[in-house]
Amino acid sequence: MSSTAATRTVVELNGVTRAYSRGGERIVVLDALDFAIEEGERVAIMGPSGSGKTTLLNLIGGLDKPELGSVRVAGEELTELTPPELARWRAGNVGIVFQGFNLIPVLSAQENVELPLLLAPLSRSERRAHAAHALELVGLADRASHRPGQLSGGQEQRVAIARAIVSDPTLILADEPTGDLDRASADSVMALLARLNEELGKTVIIVTHDPLAAASAQRSVHLDKGRWKSDGEGA
Amino acid sequence: MPIHLIFRNLVRHKLRTALTVGSLAIAVFLLCVLRALVVSLDAGVRNSTSDRLIVQSAVSLFVNLPASYVGKLKAVEGVDSVARLQWFGGYYQDPSSFFAQFGVDPEKFLGMYPEFKIVEGSRERFLTERTACIIGRQTADRYGFKVGDTVPIIGTIFQRLDGLPWEFQVAGIYELESIVWDETTIFFPFDYLEESLESGAASGPPGSGVIYIHLAEGVNPVNIAAEVDGLFENGPQRVQTTTEAEFNAQFVSMVGNIPFFVTTIGGGVLAAILLAVINTMLLAGREQRHDMGVLKALGFSDWAVFGVMLGQGVLLCVVGGALGIGLAQLSSPEIAKLLGTMFPGFEMTSEILTNACTLSLGIGLLSGALPAAATRKLLAVDAFRRGA
Repeated sequence: MSSTAATRTVVELNGVTRAYSRGGERIVVLDALDFAIEEGERVAIMGPSGSGKTTLLNLIGGLDKPELGSVRVAGEELTELTPPELARWRAGNVGIVFQGFNLIPVLSAQENVELPLLLAPLSRSERRAHAAHALELVGLADRASHRPGQLSGGQEQRVAIARAIVSDPTLILADEPTGDLDRASADSVMALLARLNEELGKTVIIVTHDPLAAASAQRSVHLDKGRWKSDGEGA
Repeated sequence: MPIHLIFRNLVRHKLRTALTVGSLAIAVFLLCVLRALVVSLDAGVRNSTSDRLIVQSAVSLFVNLPASYVGKLKAVEGVDSVARLQWFGGYYQDPSSFFAQFGVDPEKFLGMYPEFKIVEGSRERFLTERTACIIGRQTADRYGFKVGDTVPIIGTIFQRLDGLPWEFQVAGIYELESIVWDETTIFFPFDYLEESLESGAASGPPGSGVIYIHLAEGVNPVNIAAEVDGLFENGPQRVQTTTEAEFNAQFVSMVGNIPFFVTTIGGGVLAAILLAVINTMLLAGREQRHDMGVLKALGFSDWAVFGVMLGQGVLLCVVGGALGIGLAQLSSPEIAKLLGTMFPGFEMTSEILTNACTLSLGIGLLSGALPAAATRKLLAVDAFRRGA
């Protein structure tokens, strides 16, 4: 996949293979996969359980490395980076939203959102201001001092989104962001991700089972057993 | 590194943290006290000087030396002065109210022990009055003895034939500049005892238990000890001459290998608490595995999450250790009073407290390092997969 003159390719995977060993058996999760996403796109990756969606997202987010192939994201070849370099790269380029929210339970919403900013050269007051702004963007300014246990699932996920965008990353990766939510909360979260994409120009990649969630994306691709389905547009 | 996470995670399970900190505090307190006991046993040996020799019977410490030996010892070249010392072995009011009493040659004894400071009363009176005595500060405080009081002591080895207790007038109260003796003992003039025995007013073995020698400056104590032993090789009573340090060490060994015993107990306490804290930290590590994975996913380095886990172990142990050290420091005067007779040199020294600090820190580092190392190696994807 090559970029056009108007847009820039943010994600480019070529011949990516990832396999795990389980009980002595080699299980291929992604099989020589190619994939490209342009800057500012909102893409939904769909597929049944075990199809390799989360593994693909982990590779794009620099949380995992492929056995074969190249993963170029935001201009960086991730397969060539060491673990500390990958950690630094993640801090500057990617915001991740997980299905289980993954907020730190002993920290308040404000403190959870501030976490990625601890890696940036900011003063405490600057961090507070940025986190407050991010919480305001997701409509939770009045819940800043609440701990995750004191929030509803939808609110927790919105805090997680605030944490993902607070450091102004190029890319937002959302792994089943509506998986644990009721319909109303799920719609609200998807609308928020759409707004971040449309208003702030963030490139958003959403892994989801939910066809309604996928419908809100500009483009959907389908994975099955580590390969693109024929109707997919991954390659 | 998100330092606030260290504290927040520690208070995540308040009861567990409180119990662990409490256990640590008690263990560190016990270790401090046990160490202070061992140190107190060795205090006499440590503070001994090389210019004092002790002559005792080669047969046993309980066999007295003839009075004639004093003159012969004075005549040895290199001997500056000689003082007799006799264990009296009596008790005050009740046998359980024990403190040591010794008959001594006052002037010679105090002359060779400049560490004794008469802080109340009159040194002169002790040197000149037959029934005067000086009392250590701890015994004076324990029984409320004051200068001028009469202290009745019931003899066991030396008994008055009229059946009455011995009476000593308190001429002074002493304190020690260093722990060469202890501050529980009563010293009275040996002459008073000797005259009572010679006049038939009291019964008991003649002679003196040991004779202290103070050496002239620059004299080799080993040579003098050998000369003294040789002098009485064919005498009525063969002698064994030792340095003050060797003599005091004999007493420590006479009560059994207490330092080894106490140190072993301390080692056991240390091992038990180390395992308990490691267990707590491993539990904490397992519980926080998912959170550490989140931190890594956000971009925190392996060493940053290592620091968060290690910091928890260190903070836990530093707080527990500080409480234990504080407790040991605060309670040491009371413990010294309680154990003063058996462990007269009991003192919570700065060295003991410093070692306890180091030990607490060491336990913290060790207990935190195990889960921290596992967390450092953890991959974020594994944390989410297994934690799901």
